[in-house]
Amino acid sequence: MMFAHGFGCDQEMWRYVVPEFEGDHRIVLFDHVGSGNSDLSAYDRVKYNSLRGYAADVVEICRELGLTDVVFVGHSVSAIIGVLALQAAPEVFGGLVMIGPSPRYVDDGDYVGGFSRTDIAGLLDALDANHLGWSAQMAPVIMGTPNQPELAAELTNSFCRTDPDITRHFARVTFLSDNRADLATVGVPTLVLQCSEDVIAPEVVGRYVHEQIPGSVFTKLTATGHCPHLSAPEETAAAIRAFLPE
Amino acid sequence: MSRLQDSSGSGPDQAGRLDHLLEDDPADLYENAPMGYLSALPDGRIVKVNRTLCDWIGRPVGEVLGERFQELLSMGGRVYYETHLVPLLRMQGAVREIALDLVRADGTALACLANAVEIRDDDGAPLLMRATLFEATERRRYERGMLAAQRKAEESERRSLTLQMVVQDLAAALSVGDVASVIVERSREAMHARGAALVLVQADPHDPDAAPALRPVRADGMPENLLQELRDAAGSQLAVELARGVRSIVLDDRLRTVQPGLSAAMAAGCLSELVVAPVSADGRRLGVLVLALGTGPDDLIELDRPGGTETLATADVNLLWTIGRQAGQALERARLHEQAARQAERASFLLEAARLLAEAADVADTVDRLAGLVVGRLADLCVVDLDSDEGLVRPAVRHRDPERAHLADELRAHHLPRRSTAHPSVRALQSGGTQWVRAVDDAFLRSVAVDEAHLEVMRALELAAVVAVPFAAEGRQLGVLTIAADARRGPFTVADVEVAEQLALQLGLVVARAQRFDLAVRTSHALQDNLLPPAPPSLEGLAIAVRYLPATHGIDVGGDFYDVVQLPGAEVGLAVGDVVGHDITAAATMGQLRSVYRALLADGPAPGVIVDRLQTGWPLLSLRRMATALFASFDPASGRLRFASAGHPPPVLLEGGRARYLPVRPSRMLGAPPSQPDEWDGVLPRGASLVLFTDGLVESRSADIDEGLSRLLAATSSAGTSDPDALCDHLLSELTGAHRADDIALLVLTRR
Repeated sequence: MMFAHGFGCDQEMWRYVVPEFEGDHRIVLFDHVGSGNSDLSAYDRVKYNSLRGYAADVVEICRELGLTDVVFVGHSVSAIIGVLALQAAPEVFGGLVMIGPSPRYVDDGDYVGGFSRTDIAGLLDALDANHLGWSAQMAPVIMGTPNQPELAAELTNSFCRTDPDITRHFARVTFLSDNRADLATVGVPTLVLQCSEDVIAPEVVGRYVHEQIPGSVFTKLTATGHCPHLSAPEETAAAIRAFLPE
Repeated sequence: MSRLQDSSGSGPDQAGRLDHLLEDDPADLYENAPMGYLSALPDGRIVKVNRTLCDWIGRPVGEVLGERFQELLSMGGRVYYETHLVPLLRMQGAVREIALDLVRADGTALACLANAVEIRDDDGAPLLMRATLFEATERRRYERGMLAAQRKAEESERRSLTLQMVVQDLAAALSVGDVASVIVERSREAMHARGAALVLVQADPHDPDAAPALRPVRADGMPENLLQELRDAAGSQLAVELARGVRSIVLDDRLRTVQPGLSAAMAAGCLSELVVAPVSADGRRLGVLVLALGTGPDDLIELDRPGGTETLATADVNLLWTIGRQAGQALERARLHEQAARQAERASFLLEAARLLAEAADVADTVDRLAGLVVGRLADLCVVDLDSDEGLVRPAVRHRDPERAHLADELRAHHLPRRSTAHPSVRALQSGGTQWVRAVDDAFLRSVAVDEAHLEVMRALELAAVVAVPFAAEGRQLGVLTIAADARRGPFTVADVEVAEQLALQLGLVVARAQRFDLAVRTSHALQDNLLPPAPPSLEGLAIAVRYLPATHGIDVGGDFYDVVQLPGAEVGLAVGDVVGHDITAAATMGQLRSVYRALLADGPAPGVIVDRLQTGWPLLSLRRMATALFASFDPASGRLRFASAGHPPPVLLEGGRARYLPVRPSRMLGAPPSQPDEWDGVLPRGASLVLFTDGLVESRSADIDEGLSRLLAATSSAGTSDPDALCDHLLSELTGAHRADDIALLVLTRR
């Protein structure tokens, strides 16, 4: 099983879910380039100007490790990255779990994605305001206690820290992609996990994904928000377990 | 609770009020604290909120309770809450100083900083989130200012670093290609450009009136037709455009109307803007640096934002302008350097060609060597056609690539001369001027081909450019030097053509000389067959050996001769002679002299009579050279021997192992005024040998003739044989070296 984190933090997101599957699966965790402990120097603005750039990385990891029959568990944007990876290398994958997927965030005619263009512009501003990488440098200065690094460490929301320019670019690519047409190409058993009251991926979007992927399973969780693997790891793990073949 | 003891000395009323305030109930402190405070369930549902927060957003407490925290936030804030705040709380239990915007009832935003902690049960499961919010309008403004300042500083540092790197890299750039790499790579990186190209202006040296061509020296990541579209868009205004300084061409409605071609090329490459910076040196416009800005090919949804197109910052304009100047200087430097290197290379090439041509021995050898040299240094294919009575023939075809040598052979073997008027070689010969086919296409090949097979060979050679240069000497067209470059090498430069012309000049002189030489050789071979005497007849009682060695430098036959003939009656006539010189004239004179001598033998005259008749009849013979000769008649039965000499060295007699010169007194040379000849009359004993020779045997450049004569005697004495053949070989090996300045005729006769 390969777990791919979404926009925001890094592979630490899976810490409450992974133990459920460690016993009977080989687990592959990774940080997308630009996130977590990835090599930031490998960030190529051209390559990662499309989700296909990230999908190519997924395929590369699978091939490098010689993986087959992979169950790809993707959260949020990584659910779509999984779809694209499957397109690129169908022979590698055996199943797809999409947690809170959205093929297009911006509303388009009858299609409801949940966001207007203005909303996305506001999001990019919010990212600028929350310059976490910047805060990491500035926190000790603001606190007036530069000689107490432990305090600084506590302050610097470490799991979500990354280069602010990369975060902004990743946000653009995430929230401005339209991969609706790619859904129909999925040819492996697929589970769509939908949270309750998810502002980022509303239920109507989850249902759309389910309808577009032939033979997919739709499971609605009681968990609320956008990160059920954090807020309700047992329920999330159980739903994935139920989807996996015996 | 402890509190500060009052020591201020203030009055009892004030102290009482402070006491009251400090002992105020915690509920009031919570409600009216100078910060927003709320508690929420793990799903964000607010279960407790203070009045301060409600007042800030202008909504009653009752309305806020039961709502979810994220719903109080702006849309951006909600996404941030879900993607960052919630995960961080779960993973590290607390977050600090997260910037969030609360949305007031009137829709306006209130900038806040939030701290939050997660309250967990004994199993670590989340129970409650407590959050405090501080108004941070001023602080946010301050931070934005700092961020902007920091970005500006970073940009400034980036620009100066870029410039520093450019200067440093250019210092090491020796060629135009190096300079182009540095400029394109560095500027592309600095401007985060999708693509970059260095385009140089190139005037056509053969057509100064033509619009200058743009030659992209290096282009990275540029859409294919963009540069051409840009060139077309500039049109006849190119010079003006080049002088305009750093320009930004933004893909907008205006551009779409005015320049549809350029707009389409930009749109196809997902480019939003082109930046064109002049590259100049000392006021001369050398070209432009083109940067293509844009997101590149992606499928992202367009985000229409006012002022969304980023315009070029003044600092970037200055940076590009400076890079353009630096590039110009470096290009000039590189051009000078390359020019010098090319001149040196050309000089050494021509020198080598001259040396090689000087060593060549004949025409075939000469052109073959030259073709070999040319494909090593100047071209991929070299053909040297020589003009002859049969039209153009192809004595030399060479290809640089051994794998294509067979094609060159086919070209040589199957496609011999046709007076195809379209062929550049033919045209060069007819016009007497260089023919330069800059770009070979299939139509050209078809016009030149004599048949399908020829066409196929030329196609397989992938010819890209052809230059045919005629060569001449002494006012005579001698042939054509044709060089060709294939697709892998690229077109010829003006300098290449100049080298070819220089080479053709040298080749003309050398071929003319070699052709003359060849003619002489061919003629002398023909003469030799006719002029040299046949093998001596087999005569009763005599053993005879003869040797004839022409001078090593020059032709195979010279003016020396020997003759042995059975005279009417029993006597044998012997002769050796030496016509002055060792060239064709000498050979011809010798031939005539021998014929006349034979004619004189009809009535068996004595040797003295022969000399006399030749001397007195010489003016009638119109022979152009003087000659020396030694004539003898010998009677094998009696051994009687008579000699007469016309200025010729005396014969050697070898008898009983001892050698001596017979005292034959020479009269004047043939061709000199007649004088009374002396005749030597004696007997050749049985077993004795006679050695008749020409002065080539005894002359050498390093020693005088007397010494040579002595050495001949010594060599003859020491031979230890009287067998004529053995004696000949012994003498030649003793007395001659590898190089002979003169011909040698040698005749040895032994009486049995």
